[in-house]
Amino acid sequence: MKVPARIWMPRVGIVVIAALLVETISIVQYERVRNLMEQEMRVRSKVILGAVADRIETMVEYGGEMDVSQLSDSLNHKQHFPSSYAFVLSQDGELIVPPPESRASAAQVSAAADMLRVGRTLSPDGEVGVLSARMDKPPYWQIGQVYIMDEVRAPLHSLRRQQVFMSLLAMVILFFMIQRFYSSDKKLREATEEQARIGSELAVAQRIQHEMLPKSFTQDVFGMLEPAREVGGDLFDFHRRDGKLFFCIGDSSGKGVPSALLMSVVHSLFRTISLKEESPSRILEELNSHICRGNDSNMFATFFVGCLDLYSGQLRFGNAGHDKPFLVGKEVSLLPVKSNLPLGVFPDTEFAEENMELSAGDTLFLYTDGLTEAKNPSREAFGRARVKEVLEGVRSLSPEVMVSSLGKAAHKFAGSAPQSDDMAMLAIRFSPGNLLRQQIHLVNDKADIARLSGFVKDFSAALDLDRKMASGVRLALEEMVVNVMNYAYPAGEKGDICVLADSDRTEVRFTVEDSGVPFDPTSMMSADTTLDAHSRPIGGLGIHLTRRIMDSVSYCRKQGKNVLTLTKSII
Amino acid sequence: MTTKIQETPDRIIAFLSGELDTAVAQETEQALKPLLGSKGKDIVIDCTELEYIASSGLRILLGILKQAREVGSRVVLKNVNDVIRDVLDLTGFISIFEFE
Repeated sequence: MKVPARIWMPRVGIVVIAALLVETISIVQYERVRNLMEQEMRVRSKVILGAVADRIETMVEYGGEMDVSQLSDSLNHKQHFPSSYAFVLSQDGELIVPPPESRASAAQVSAAADMLRVGRTLSPDGEVGVLSARMDKPPYWQIGQVYIMDEVRAPLHSLRRQQVFMSLLAMVILFFMIQRFYSSDKKLREATEEQARIGSELAVAQRIQHEMLPKSFTQDVFGMLEPAREVGGDLFDFHRRDGKLFFCIGDSSGKGVPSALLMSVVHSLFRTISLKEESPSRILEELNSHICRGNDSNMFATFFVGCLDLYSGQLRFGNAGHDKPFLVGKEVSLLPVKSNLPLGVFPDTEFAEENMELSAGDTLFLYTDGLTEAKNPSREAFGRARVKEVLEGVRSLSPEVMVSSLGKAAHKFAGSAPQSDDMAMLAIRFSPGNLLRQQIHLVNDKADIARLSGFVKDFSAALDLDRKMASGVRLALEEMVVNVMNYAYPAGEKGDICVLADSDRTEVRFTVEDSGVPFDPTSMMSADTTLDAHSRPIGGLGIHLTRRIMDSVSYCRKQGKNVLTLTKSII
Repeated sequence: MTTKIQETPDRIIAFLSGELDTAVAQETEQALKPLLGSKGKDIVIDCTELEYIASSGLRILLGILKQAREVGSRVVLKNVNDVIRDVLDLTGFISIFEFE
């Protein structure tokens, strides 16, 4: 593997600079130590040689005999280095006391004597050093002491080798430390980047999960979801269909991403199934069989599904192991409901369906255990009793106030303790007074469109729709009714058309029913609105306009009737 | 729904007033027949008092436009309110008519 220069250059550079620095310091130190050593040697030699010279002078002064060979022995037998030696020159510079031949050859001695004569202390090649002491009394001899510099410096050299070895070792260690630093730094950087990536993906996931929640809250329906982490496994949802409110709340096992994945599956299944299915127990059974399929990781979810008839207050509900909702009416009580098993446990679980009739003003309060099990710093749970207490205080107020009061109460209770579980709440109030429903029967005669126009105008006025909105829904409805008049009944045959208009003041819904031949206007081709005048066909404009104006246009054949449903949000 | 037609030496002006829904489409079409004999004169459809139009009304306008083109007449819609302009926009009619 080839390591790129930008990686190894700085590391090797640091080591080289460090080595140069250490080397410079050690060379300077070496020179200092050498100088000190040599100085010390000179002083020592001077003292010894001076002592010998004094002795000779004394001896000569008192007329003693001088034995040359004995003098040579005493000068040389206690030499500090094996190859160093001493000799004596006469006042005229003649060699009068040579060193023993075993210590130095005649040539070496003569070369050293020459150096002494001319006053040199170091030979030109630096190998031989000479120190001397001259007597200032008779016999005025000169004593020379010769050192072989290599010998003198030998301990210094070995010290120097050790020093080089030590600094090399230090450089190698330094190199590995740098490597280690770089690689751990790289790992740290990679880990940080990975963390940032996961963080940003989680932020996106959180946004997606948030966007999947219904937002069309009204004064009668309000929900809230607070995940403990970025994403959570709690869910609530609701939608209106055919004058009924379908709603659910659920909690999947675990927390974080795995439970959020399971919940998003449950969520989309609920939306799909509840589009065609009205019975909560059958919705639960279908959900359950889907979730059990391939559920090798044994995930499960508690789930509560309800279907409230917005006009009659008839409530059908089914439970899959979820916490019992509260029914907030004149008093606050738990909704009597069977628990059943959660979703995802056994594929053939049957879910009991129950029903009851809500009175005007009753509110159903649904929640997940993140609310009742919110813990305070001393690990005490918020509990159902406190939920009930708060609900009693706000029982006559709107669903939004109910949900936010409980949210605040739970947060206040938990104090500084971290939120340990996801928390979801959904409050649904039955207020039939807010609903508007009107109906008109028409015959398949274009003149009856005038009656339809009057009917829609009254309906729009009752809802206080603005001019544009009123005109739009009138146009859409007229186009669809004209379509029925044109196609549902054979020419000349008299037929009925029933138009039902209803609204919960968040959307309008028109249902057009006729008993003519099966005819699905939504399957008609829309007009091509980009053609020029000449090639424009005279048809297809009606369905095109209706589709563009309304939010949804759907057709079904029900009990021998064509049923066309148009909806549009009006908030 | 009322219609009134006024002819000047160089243009024919039709004043539409009220709501042009399917119920009145047929009689309106009849009432506007004179426009089909424009003989090259410019046709102005004054929509100042027109409050509503359904696709049956749009078809009448399209019929007039096609006929007028054949004899070299221009068709101009005058004083179209925002509700009707929306409908013309949704159907792409905005690009085939002239406005003033």
